[in-house]
Amino acid sequence: MFLQNFNLIIFIVLIILGYSAGSLAEKRHYRSIIKRERQLLKMAVVTAEGSFPPGHVKSSTLVSGSAVISIDYFKRLLAILRNIFGGRVKSYESLIDRARREAILRMKESARKQGADMVINMRLETSTIGRNANRRNSVGSVEAIAYGTAIIRNN
Amino acid sequence: MKFTPKQLDGNVNVSSTHPLIELLWLLGGLALLVGLFFFIFGATTDWAVARTPIKVETWIGELALDEFPSKENPPLEKRLQALLDKLPADSVLHQYKFRVFLVDSDEVNAIALPGGNIVVYSGLLKILTSENELAMVLAHELGHFAHRDHLRSLGRGLGLAVVTTLLFGEGSSASSLVSKTLLTFQAQYSQTQEAAADRFGLDLLVKRYGHAGGATDLFASLAKNPGEKFPYLLASHPHPEERISALIQQIKDKNYLVKNTLPWKHNIIPR
Repeated sequence: MFLQNFNLIIFIVLIILGYSAGSLAEKRHYRSIIKRERQLLKMAVVTAEGSFPPGHVKSSTLVSGSAVISIDYFKRLLAILRNIFGGRVKSYESLIDRARREAILRMKESARKQGADMVINMRLETSTIGRNANRRNSVGSVEAIAYGTAIIRNN
Repeated sequence: MKFTPKQLDGNVNVSSTHPLIELLWLLGGLALLVGLFFFIFGATTDWAVARTPIKVETWIGELALDEFPSKENPPLEKRLQALLDKLPADSVLHQYKFRVFLVDSDEVNAIALPGGNIVVYSGLLKILTSENELAMVLAHELGHFAHRDHLRSLGRGLGLAVVTTLLFGEGSSASSLVSKTLLTFQAQYSQTQEAAADRFGLDLLVKRYGHAGGATDLFASLAKNPGEKFPYLLASHPHPEERISALIQQIKDKNYLVKNTLPWKHNIIPR
């Protein structure tokens, strides 16, 4: 009998921890993302291949950025409930959004460090680490990787 | 093509619903659904149990008995027979072949197993102080058989376990979440069963001895060290103090006498 209560208490504590810590981490991350997006606004990132007049490009190089964001217990609970009832899994939307934007920002930063002012042919890939992120007793993570060609121009 | 960078307000990729509101709706829906299933399975189970012959329950009982290493105890069975003799002739309990087993263990417990098998732990016998107390314990277990409690809980729990496994697969997080919700309903139901067995036990005790002395003694000694009331929210038994007040109320309502209890005849625990 005591064991049943103990399990339930642990469950509730994890949920509260997930919600509070998770919300805090998310707000801080979004603030950081928005600030850096504003700073790197001038760097163009396009998925187009681009073509340049001869002599325009000094060099080009592969750049990539990746980010791994963990799923917290509270978001996982909401997702499991959605698995029962169906519908949009809103709790995971912000996770994927943050992971992708963070990956693109890191790629831009990497390009900026090399003196580039645009990235062409960008591709974005998302995956979950841990085979099934909703599997029992495992809290998974979302990984996003953005990669493209950084163009350093002759000025 | 000109590149004009622009910082956008808001976020098209994230919904604006507050997660706590979503949690409330989803958990509320889940509790409602589980409660509904529990009620439906309960009604179906009660209908089926009333029509299940004792032979079927005995067969299930043979399977459960293998878990308990124990020997039949004739002195305890004699006391049980004294209680059974006081039952009306049409009682369903007469269809059972009752066996009482004694387990050598310090645990303070007595268990009623399907099919007419009662297991008593020697730890319980050590803290009893009168024949009447022992009769109350045995009569309480008889109450479980009279109400067919085993089949009822079995049906409810099993029914919902089967449905969730069919829907979500074995060992998935969804089924563990549903079973946590079920726990609350199951515990409440179990407490109702225990209280009903207490009432049956008291009535039978009075038929046997002519008075209700000794009915609350065991719970009083359990209540001396009961701990907080909180763990009992989800326990299978009501809090000892609750059981005592329920029994006292029943004694008052039915005008039962309370006389002195018979002393303990120590011929049960084999030396």
